[in-house]
Amino acid sequence: MIRKTRIKRTWLAAAVIASGSLLATALPANAETGVSAREIKLGITLPLTGAASPGYSKIGNAMDAYFKYVNDNGGVYGRKVTLIQKNDEYSPQLSIAKTNELILRDKVFALVGPLGTANFTAVHKSVGLAKRRVPSLFLNTGFSGFSKKKSYPTSFMVLPSYAMEAKIIAQFLKENHAGKKLGIVYQNDEFGIDGMGAFKAAGTKFDVTIPYTSGSQSSATAQTWVSQLAAGGAEVVVMFGVTSATGALLGVSAAARYAPQWILGSVGSDPVTLRAIGVPVAVLNGAQTPAGNPSPNDTSDEYVKQFQEINTKYNTGVAFDDYVLQGMNIGLLTVQALRAAGKNLTRRGLVRAMETKGSKFASVAYSPLGFSRTSNVGHTGYYMAVMDATGDRKPFGGKVTLYTTDSGSGPVVVSTFKRPAMPAKGLPSNS
Amino acid sequence: MQKVIETLLIGLSTGSIYALMSLALVLVWRSTRVVNFAQAGQAMLSTYIGFEIASRSEIFWLGLVFAIAAGALVGAGVDYFFMRVLFKHATSGPAAVVAPVIATLGLLGLIRSIVGLTWGGEFKSIEAPASTDGFSVGDGTIPFSDLDVLIIATVSIILITVAYIFQRTNLGLALRASAYAPEIAQLAGIRTARTRTIGWSIAGAVGGVAGMLVTSNNFLSPYSLDLLLVFGFIAAVIGGLESMVGSVIGALVLGIGLTFILNYVGTSLVFIGGFSVLILVLLIKPDGIMAKGKARRA
Amino acid sequence: MESWPKARPAVRKKIAIFILIGWALLIIGDRVDELRVYQGAQVAMYTIALASIVLLTGYSGQVSLGNGAMMAVGGYGAALTLNNLGTPIWFAFLMAIVTASLFGALLGAAAARVSGPYLAGTTLALAVGLPAIANQFAFLGGEPGLFFDVGFPPERFGDEFTQYKWFFWIACFIALIALFITSNILSSRFGRTWKAIRGNSLAAELCGVHSSRMKVLAFTVSSGLAGLAGAVLAMTISLVAPGAYGLALSFALVTGAVLAGISSLPGVVLGALILVFIPEISVALADRLGDADKLNNYLPGLIVSVLLILSVIFTPNGPGENLRKHLHKKPAH
Repeated sequence: MIRKTRIKRTWLAAAVIASGSLLATALPANAETGVSAREIKLGITLPLTGAASPGYSKIGNAMDAYFKYVNDNGGVYGRKVTLIQKNDEYSPQLSIAKTNELILRDKVFALVGPLGTANFTAVHKSVGLAKRRVPSLFLNTGFSGFSKKKSYPTSFMVLPSYAMEAKIIAQFLKENHAGKKLGIVYQNDEFGIDGMGAFKAAGTKFDVTIPYTSGSQSSATAQTWVSQLAAGGAEVVVMFGVTSATGALLGVSAAARYAPQWILGSVGSDPVTLRAIGVPVAVLNGAQTPAGNPSPNDTSDEYVKQFQEINTKYNTGVAFDDYVLQGMNIGLLTVQALRAAGKNLTRRGLVRAMETKGSKFASVAYSPLGFSRTSNVGHTGYYMAVMDATGDRKPFGGKVTLYTTDSGSGPVVVSTFKRPAMPAKGLPSNS
Repeated sequence: MQKVIETLLIGLSTGSIYALMSLALVLVWRSTRVVNFAQAGQAMLSTYIGFEIASRSEIFWLGLVFAIAAGALVGAGVDYFFMRVLFKHATSGPAAVVAPVIATLGLLGLIRSIVGLTWGGEFKSIEAPASTDGFSVGDGTIPFSDLDVLIIATVSIILITVAYIFQRTNLGLALRASAYAPEIAQLAGIRTARTRTIGWSIAGAVGGVAGMLVTSNNFLSPYSLDLLLVFGFIAAVIGGLESMVGSVIGALVLGIGLTFILNYVGTSLVFIGGFSVLILVLLIKPDGIMAKGKARRA
Repeated sequence: MESWPKARPAVRKKIAIFILIGWALLIIGDRVDELRVYQGAQVAMYTIALASIVLLTGYSGQVSLGNGAMMAVGGYGAALTLNNLGTPIWFAFLMAIVTASLFGALLGAAAARVSGPYLAGTTLALAVGLPAIANQFAFLGGEPGLFFDVGFPPERFGDEFTQYKWFFWIACFIALIALFITSNILSSRFGRTWKAIRGNSLAAELCGVHSSRMKVLAFTVSSGLAGLAGAVLAMTISLVAPGAYGLALSFALVTGAVLAGISSLPGVVLGALILVFIPEISVALADRLGDADKLNNYLPGLIVSVLLILSVIFTPNGPGENLRKHLHKKPAH
């Protein structure tokens, strides 16, 4: 009897504590959307640790470094740009939790550069980005599904889609590796399947096909990939996976003395990161890869030169590689977008600015941007590159031959597009 | 036929690392009757220390020595500062059964967090002390490398050393006595508490070696030794927590078995395979393959 | 059966209390902002999950780290039912309980012969290996997982009624019912029998208790609860993915249960609050200490582990028990 009363009392106490704490920590209803007179808050989710983090973890700090540079030079119409980074370890459900934090707690104005196909798909649906009208600019993923405006009304890509990339690789295989036995290793989720679908549509026949589950990459599993590829006699192997998987595959192949012609998908092909995770530079020599940007070592390129300077000053100690380049470029694009939206900054205004003015923005990549009222597509093409004995990337055939295409059944064509010049000192002055 | 030999050899190399972990678990069990889930944490901490030394000096062996020393220190520290306090306080109530298990799990989480805060979660790698290239045989290459040979050799040396200590020295006698019949051992003049700490220390050192060997071929992160713990535990169960020899044999069997599954069936079934073996052994022979029929209650 | 007439007014009082709590939650849900409402749903989810641990470990004395895996089973069960059979939401939640209970019964049957560290280790293996198992079967959606969409709130609630508030309502409703039923089970002869087994299973057997059958029953009911919690979790993130149910979750559950008093059902509310608000506190701490992101990754784990260790050493039976001991301290032995 006494015990029952005590239990009941405990229940009541529990209820009081629960309600009390919820009420006590309640924030007043707030109309703020991440923009104040002095600050614009942006958010990004990306893998800072975990199996997929090598390389990608640098993107956030690179973006931040660029924003700091812009802030030191007047910001965006006097407002400082603040980037809040959240680690999602490439796991979709963590992405959801962190994005909730960004939108509900940190109250960011927009998301920029969220990374990962499965991650953004989950976030968009679960957090309801479309319904909340939160813009998500310059996604760090090339899944062609994101280009569908109807499903993703407030999202904008920046990378060419995986379907585009696969089509360009397929064309390259036809022109330069006809008749050889082909193998492919790809990540078995929408990222890899996007590419595989395009290969199929382009008619590429692979003799050895190896899907791998994201997160399962390791030297042990890579052993099995190499055994299968070697057993199947693959002479040209396409690797459509993340950097750590690419590294595992190349490392194990070196140890097993299996040396096919490698074609590395752009997602996982940064030579600096690959070497950092243990791939001998000798293995990289001769590997071919689609690339959208100039090599990060090419200081004759005005974008690379300016970004390197900013990196040295604002991102000290970090080696300048593909990911740093990509991060800074996203920063550059973001600032142009914020400026284009005008001094009276709203989420709707930002989306409209992207749709109407986005295609003219300055970017380090060689291909044109495809933003419009009806399209979320960012860059639209690649050139093929080869790695040399120092791991640096040089254009295949000596000069950059740019191919552009779409994510559908359009043809792959050689393009003569000339990209806009880098704004003076890397500081956009567009409006 | 070549594939069978390959698989066997790699399984042997993998299994020998599991053997170290399961040996450490059995050592602690026999001296304290606690399954130390924090073993993975201790091994991880020792490995990170070894990694620091190895990457600065560029000498793997130096790093290994430091890992052993760190493992011994941490092991002793855990027993002295943690386990003794635990046993003093948590002795009654429904939680007494549960407390040691949860405490070691909490310790695992604690060490992991400290390691993460100190070193960060990015993957790190250690330069392997031997070539990881496979041996060429005729046209092809067996993916069994110098490193694998080194691993097997190192593990064998450690196992022999530990066995010698336990079977042939006074210390070993004291260790076994303190675990099996602590009151009688005390009556015989053995300082059981200190002996137990030494047992933990040896287990910690062994764990440190396991961590360094696993990492020589893989990435290091605050989570990278979790699987080692699980497989070490399964191996210890297979062999019987009471028997050091049994746990080693269990580990080798497990390593070979899992490698066969990996090579012949596919990567994803490896874990299910290991887990099924665990359940099977628990159902059929809960005392382990090598046990002599003692009842298995906590 | 002779205790029935006495029980009825007590049960009625309990019902009244629960209705009161429910009404209070309704009001709170209207006053706080979306972040708190979302966290409220998470707290409700954790109370159900922690209740499963209280039943299994606190009452029947079996230490299992596999409740996270059981939550996963429930989550997948609910998602598969909803997506493939197009059933109403409540049926999906029901299936979560059913599938998880089934798996729990299997696990219990296998585990009945072992106890203590063996059980803990086996369930640890399950918790660590679950992501691999989930990745193996394509129909489970692999690493990205399956979508679990409970649909938008009814139109008549108006535009201001957000999705997260809807989750809060559903989660609290389910939690109240689940806790009510569990509370009744625990104060019934089942609860008493479990406690007897935990205390001294040999003595219990001598009294005619079929201890292994009761143990399996404990696993079954506990897993059913965990499965329900897993489905509620899936609802809040609209996703069932292996990453959401990993080792960290099982850890957190054990911690929350120990902190709240491992055999105290009302304590699960406190435990749930702690679990949801530790990340909050650590974020605030990390912001103050700088280098936010590195700290953010590991500080919550640090705080949780330290709390767990401290509570297991000093208050292994929960703060309530210790307080009681102090208040009723006998004079010199």
